[in-house]
Amino acid sequence: MDSGAQGGRYARERQALLTVYGIFYFAVFGSMIGQGRLLSQVQPALWNFNRDVSELVVIASGLPRWMTAHRGSFLFFDILLFALPLAWVATGLRRWLGVVFVLFLSLYLLLADIFWQVHHEPFILYVLLPLALITRKFNEVLKACRYYFLYIFISAAVWKIARGAVFNGEEMSRILLFHHSELLTSSCDGLLCRGYTWLIDHPFVAQLLYAGGVLLEAAFVVGVFTRRYDRLLLALAVVFVVADLLVMRIPYWTLLLGCVTLWLDTRPRQLAIVVYETTHHENLPALLDLCEMRFPRVVVFLREGSFANLSGSQSPETRWPATEFVVQAPAESNRQFIRRLLRFRCSHLHLATLDNNLLLWALRLMAAPEVQVSVTIHEVNAFFARPLGSLRDVTETLAKPLLRLRVRHYHFFLPAMAEHFRERMPKASTAFLPSRFYAAPAPAQRSSRPFTIAIPGSVDANRRDYEPVLEVFRRWPAQLPPVQLVLLGDSSSEFGRSLVAQLRAQTKVRHYEGYIPETIYEREIREADLLWSPLRIHKTGSRHNPEIYGRTTASGLTADILLNNTPALAPAELILPDPFTVAILPYRGAEEAAVLLQGLITDARTRDLLRQQIHRAFSNFSKENFAAAFDTLTALDQKGEEGSADAIKAVQPNIQ
Amino acid sequence: MKYWHIGFFILQLGVDLAHSVTAFPFVHYGMFSQSFVRPDTLTVFRVSVDGEALRQTDFAVYRWDMVQGPLEAAEKRTATHDFAFDKEKLQAALGSFYNGLSPNLNNTGDFVPWYKGYLGRLLGRPVGVLKVEKLSYRWTDGRMVLIQTENWING
Repeated sequence: MDSGAQGGRYARERQALLTVYGIFYFAVFGSMIGQGRLLSQVQPALWNFNRDVSELVVIASGLPRWMTAHRGSFLFFDILLFALPLAWVATGLRRWLGVVFVLFLSLYLLLADIFWQVHHEPFILYVLLPLALITRKFNEVLKACRYYFLYIFISAAVWKIARGAVFNGEEMSRILLFHHSELLTSSCDGLLCRGYTWLIDHPFVAQLLYAGGVLLEAAFVVGVFTRRYDRLLLALAVVFVVADLLVMRIPYWTLLLGCVTLWLDTRPRQLAIVVYETTHHENLPALLDLCEMRFPRVVVFLREGSFANLSGSQSPETRWPATEFVVQAPAESNRQFIRRLLRFRCSHLHLATLDNNLLLWALRLMAAPEVQVSVTIHEVNAFFARPLGSLRDVTETLAKPLLRLRVRHYHFFLPAMAEHFRERMPKASTAFLPSRFYAAPAPAQRSSRPFTIAIPGSVDANRRDYEPVLEVFRRWPAQLPPVQLVLLGDSSSEFGRSLVAQLRAQTKVRHYEGYIPETIYEREIREADLLWSPLRIHKTGSRHNPEIYGRTTASGLTADILLNNTPALAPAELILPDPFTVAILPYRGAEEAAVLLQGLITDARTRDLLRQQIHRAFSNFSKENFAAAFDTLTALDQKGEEGSADAIKAVQPNIQ
Repeated sequence: MKYWHIGFFILQLGVDLAHSVTAFPFVHYGMFSQSFVRPDTLTVFRVSVDGEALRQTDFAVYRWDMVQGPLEAAEKRTATHDFAFDKEKLQAALGSFYNGLSPNLNNTGDFVPWYKGYLGRLLGRPVGVLKVEKLSYRWTDGRMVLIQTENWING
């Protein structure tokens, strides 16, 4: 099924082809200005017969004769050479204008050869490739152009073998002598000229070069049978052009436009999403729920630790039975793992965490324009920062513009983050999806147990301000029952141990050292009567960049709070949207926190009412309510556009 | 569409095999596949503008092509009497229809004034005296040895 050239199918591939074609076209014909090779620069007066039937027709038509008599026509043709493709693009690739452009370009090339013998060979694909954008058969024309590009090399190899040139021991030596005769008559003191002289006098070595060239050209036969080695062939084409420039002094780079046919992989792809996750596995559950709902195949590449802690109450395979999990082997490096992932032929790729190997990702994604990519942004400022302090900083600074160019769909854990991101990148498509969906309230706890407050997250002075916590318990009224405090994060640091010691002097404290397994973590959250997130709203991010909780980065609280209908104390500065607000008890200082906390402890009815309200509000956090946002993220909502290019089998999303 | 593609490649293959004639966009990709015979002499054009010889090393590859290319074409035009053989073939093929077309086929322009003007535009300065010599060289002992100089254009 193909739609029109302006239609949605292969939208991403068409855009990539148009971009590459445009770059090459204007580079090639623009460079002709500097070389004095445009018609208006040459202003030819004579024409040549080059034994080309099409040229003969043009000459016989009288056009060259008329043009030499009307010199203004040369400038007119040059203007059309640049204006027509621009007009074609400006009018949204109107088919008729595309046809006019291709016919005109053909005529211009014929005239160029008639007047000053511009050989056509490297320009044929400049005529053929626009047909992919003009006709309704993008994929088929592109495939044909790919075969044509392969044919160029194969034909050259076959002729060299068929005519016996490759077996003529002095062939290359003679070619060099003939081809560089002008250069050889000069003083010839340059490195290249001396090299040519040496090769001419050493025919065997020169012939080895020739044979190597034939082998390289013949290697393109592989492309006729498989697309597996297309990237290698692309590299060989570049090697060929470089070698041609060095050995023959022929700047054949014009030919490299054909590499786009090896680069764009339009083979049918299954509708499948691959999710890559490294460190923030706690944010995956909602994403996986939605992936299973919308994609017939879901594959998650993640680390062993992330896999083990992905789901607190069940194993990942039980919770997401339709999802395939690919766990990074302990001995496998990140780069090997990424390579393995990229070999997976999927239609969609989501990078749930992108905090390492940014340049590698950027380059690999640029090389795979056919994949719909989306990224979860954890820190907005970090994504736009341009640090140069270390090698890693430099590579990341180089990678970010490429990533922004390649990736247009972003996921955030808060609407405010998405909004802030769009202010900085207006063309981006942003989607708010929570870390997980709300299920149901946990069973009520025994009334005999002490009131339990969980403070989630590692005990870290940079991210959390514990002073209000200490202050509240320093002034804890003796008539109130004691409180069980759970420091639900790694407290093994010096700061953590000191805090534990101070709190223990005032109340009961349970704390953890090292990584807390997800089962224990989630159980503690569910059993808590209150969560307390004493965030420092302005924090230093992972790359020492300033971030603001609630605006440029999301706290883990937004994930934890959805595990139950438990209220949470949080600084008033932390702005969270509805329906999170129902569960948040904001405080401006220790006194306000104490009042809120003591009110909850003493008033069981208020506590129950609040939990009911939270339950009702959080019921909105269901996968059905976020399906549309997920479609935006994965471009599935752009039917026939990016998300469902021709390359993807027409599978309707399965809405459960 | 598939048949269009097959037809295209059949034509391309045919043109490639025909070898001596092409029909744009069906061209021949030989890339130095013809078996070269070691030439006795190699002819090079020496272009002098106002007494100063142009040197290849002072030009980028394509710009030097634009200096030399028209000279090679002009030499070929002269040698073939403005492609008389091709025109004869065409006449044989077209019969009386040829007479109507022949004015379009015959070059009437003057090469030297055009070349001087073009060279001037390429060099960025007017060309006063143009001299083109055909130099014949022989490859001997790892270098080009000049064996003959022939004045070709003086204008």
